[in-house]
Amino acid sequence: MQPLIDCDVHQPNPSPDQWLQYLAEPYRSEFARHGLRSISSGIRCEDGGNRWDLKEERNGLTLNDPGFYSQQLLDAYGHRFALLSGNNSPIAGIPDPDYVAAICSALNDFYVEQWLPQDERFLLAIKIPLQDPQLAVREIERFAGAKQVAAVSFFATANRIAFGERYYWPIYEACQRHNLPLHMHPSTTATIANAAMTPAGQAATYLESHVCMPQFYMAQVASMVLNGVFAKFERLKVMLVEGGVCWLPHLLWRMDAEFKGLRHEAPYLKRMPSEYVREHVRLTTQPIEEPAKTEHLLQMFEMIHADEILMYASDFPHWDFDEPTKLPKALGETTLRRILRDNAAEFLNLPALQSAEPALV
Amino acid sequence: MSWQSVCAEEAVREGAPVIVTIGRREVGIIRHGEKLHAVLNFCPHAGAPIARGRVEALVIADEPGSRARVDCEQAVLRCPWHHWEFDLTTGESLCPIKPRIKIFPLKVEEGQVWIDA
Repeated sequence: MQPLIDCDVHQPNPSPDQWLQYLAEPYRSEFARHGLRSISSGIRCEDGGNRWDLKEERNGLTLNDPGFYSQQLLDAYGHRFALLSGNNSPIAGIPDPDYVAAICSALNDFYVEQWLPQDERFLLAIKIPLQDPQLAVREIERFAGAKQVAAVSFFATANRIAFGERYYWPIYEACQRHNLPLHMHPSTTATIANAAMTPAGQAATYLESHVCMPQFYMAQVASMVLNGVFAKFERLKVMLVEGGVCWLPHLLWRMDAEFKGLRHEAPYLKRMPSEYVREHVRLTTQPIEEPAKTEHLLQMFEMIHADEILMYASDFPHWDFDEPTKLPKALGETTLRRILRDNAAEFLNLPALQSAEPALV
Repeated sequence: MSWQSVCAEEAVREGAPVIVTIGRREVGIIRHGEKLHAVLNFCPHAGAPIARGRVEALVIADEPGSRARVDCEQAVLRCPWHHWEFDLTTGESLCPIKPRIKIFPLKVEEGQVWIDA
């Protein structure tokens, strides 16, 4: 068994009795009376989103228990660290910033107190209210430097303002100052709040919206690069989770090609757009594309410098979970080790893992 | 390379380059204010007749979030096809890439334009 780092693990939302004590008034009373606020696109997420085989109790534990994750994921696959990213549905697209800030704080406090102490292999991506950057910065400051807090979560498909806009820059400044990378994850598909879920318009089904997820990331990366986010915040780091990887060459080539003729619209960029991506952006593997010929995936990996910018994610316990063995062995021992462990160790500031450890294949 | 007279200075007007043929090469004589420039009429990107492009001032910005401004002292030649930008004095791209345009030495003597091509 080889130690690996998993960049996307979904712990459940707390149950009301676990959580109410962490939620500030007046939202505690509201929650007790009405439950969480919700916003729906009318699309039903695939059967709750979890693997069917994990519904039953195992060794006296269920998916609501941190120990279930330790046993069924971390022990089973040899995880050295697992980044807990939770669930975006309680906050993504909800319009009231004060409400969302209270929910974020309660979730963060709950997981820091009730989950992280249960296993030192757990890391947490804290939730922040993108609806109000100042409140978001306040939440980042609250947890900066906290043990096992390793990233800041962005719900990446329910924002109403593109991520390159200056609206978000105070958040980027805070993340950079505290050396906390951004963990960009789709918000639960059933709660996407945009008027148009794809550039073509409203997706009709979960299938259609899930297939089109990379389009969000293409737009967000273009927005961040071309509006100068990475030129401005030279130490900011962003991970794109669950959006696939094979779209990246097209975006890099197109940005570079267009920039040569339209540089005057982004004159603050001193390097080619693709160079900013290579330095600042990392992609996680799940759900990895499945071409008929593995060699085609290997070619794509070569195009995107997979040995530098890919990081393993399982998406446990969701239905489209990828085991670490999903990655082609033909990548070779060095590249696999970097994807399964070393790239994330560097990205998440876990230097102890960068030294030589046993091979991963 | 040798100096050769190619046209009268007054024949080169802003926005209206003079294209001359030297051997098998076309050279564009381009005016930017008081200055004249001689450019190989071939864009390294896609082979476009780059001398037919536009001469514009350089657009710059100190950093993201700061307002863009123009440096009128630095002339930029933009290709007519894909609008790539090149420094009209050095021939270098305004983007950090290797392709550049060929600039020829130029002088004006007694109202006549000479280039070393």
